[in-house]
Amino acid sequence: MPSTRKPPVPVSGIVYGEIIYWGTCLSALLVLFGTIKSFLETNSAVSVNYLLDAVLSGKSVETIWLSSKLQQVPNTSIYLATWTSGESLTVIGIAMGVLTVIPAIFLSAIYLWRSNNHIFAIVALISGLLTMVAPSGLISP
Amino acid sequence: MVGYRSGVETMSWTKRLPELQFLILCTLCCYAFLELFITPNQLSGFSGISGIDLILTSFLLSVLVAIVSVIAGVGGGVIFTPLMLAFTSIDTLIIRSTGLVVAMFSGLVATGPFMRKGLADIKLVFLGALPILIGGFGGSLAAIYLSQHLGETGDSLVRLMLGVLLMGIAVVFVLGGAATEYPKHSERSKLAIMLKLRHMYWEDSLQKPVKYKVHNVRTAIFLLFIVGFTGGFFGLGGGWAVVPVLNLVMSVPLKVSAATSGVLLAMGNSAAIWPYINVGALIGVVAAPWMLGQIIGGIMGAHILASIKAAFVRKVLIVMLFATSIKLTARGIEGLFGISIPII
Repeated sequence: MPSTRKPPVPVSGIVYGEIIYWGTCLSALLVLFGTIKSFLETNSAVSVNYLLDAVLSGKSVETIWLSSKLQQVPNTSIYLATWTSGESLTVIGIAMGVLTVIPAIFLSAIYLWRSNNHIFAIVALISGLLTMVAPSGLISP
Repeated sequence: MVGYRSGVETMSWTKRLPELQFLILCTLCCYAFLELFITPNQLSGFSGISGIDLILTSFLLSVLVAIVSVIAGVGGGVIFTPLMLAFTSIDTLIIRSTGLVVAMFSGLVATGPFMRKGLADIKLVFLGALPILIGGFGGSLAAIYLSQHLGETGDSLVRLMLGVLLMGIAVVFVLGGAATEYPKHSERSKLAIMLKLRHMYWEDSLQKPVKYKVHNVRTAIFLLFIVGFTGGFFGLGGGWAVVPVLNLVMSVPLKVSAATSGVLLAMGNSAAIWPYINVGALIGVVAAPWMLGQIIGGIMGAHILASIKAAFVRKVLIVMLFATSIKLTARGIEGLFGISIPII
């Protein structure tokens, strides 16, 4: 007789999903806070109105940043150094949502290994390492 | 693609998630606060429109894009990126980085519920993750290289290539009736047997568990790499292509394909977005309303799905894809060859 019981859901999947889900929700709140702060700032290095004007007028990324008060193209370290500004907080919020994937992958890999799915645990580890290399800027065009 | 729709039908979980309702409330309060209490500065060149109006408009458009993309069964990037590239003069790198945000955030927020329900297959997610991660990262590096070394010519080339690709996607949608709910396949590949790629999920509509076995692993890995590359290069994501690869090539049931696709792309795009962030192409204030709109619109789309004729939305989307592809191709040819093509 065919089974009508619900099959068990792998713990590795649940762990992966929960970390990303809650991380995304928290990052969305940070992005909201960053957006409000951007509009409230009066003496910011990168004013919201300047950014929006420059983006809509079709200026290139480089021109936008070099013509701003910041006078340099921002990367991860600059965003972290200026984390109190609204624009940086917003980007950090988005990045946090993206980065939740990393702990999710590694913790999921542990549970995959414990459940004897060794090949997938190794593949997960490699994926996690690759996801860690990407933000570092070590590989660039 | 049709399957993505049926996969999302299971997302009635949103009703029971107070944290998402809280997020929606916070977002609406935030935008209401900005509109009511912040003195707006007019944007130059846009009489009567302030920065806050633009943010609010972007958020509402993002909600609309998310609803349409959920109902039509495609990723939001397929709608956002071509439309912005075709009809605005915004720098292509900014559009493509925001496109990746649009493509990945509805998938990120759906990861938890899909995993909880056992609809997304964690083994398939990690199997597809490597080719999509490598392809997506390579694609975004190639996009930045092209933009830095070819400038305007590179942008025109991107528009032309995307126009042609979009035409192909539209044709796939027109012919897209080949997807099957529970695909059958006679022979399994040795690799699939070795990796023990078989699984079981609970099918609500049948009130019984459904077993499936995975096929054609090597072909699928190659195709996922291509999908990752195009997704990273154009900022499209790849929702339009991953479901057919999982369903038609790997013989994974449609509902599992749809759920796994969302989870897979969220992970795959997480590497592709960093080269854009590291060259300043992700403008926070521009991307934020699009990100929030995707999260909220994705949830709304899942609710609307049950009561709307999805076939009509798909037809609208196909017309939009054809029209956008013509405009993109025209702009690409104009930029590359200096010919003026009179298309609105």
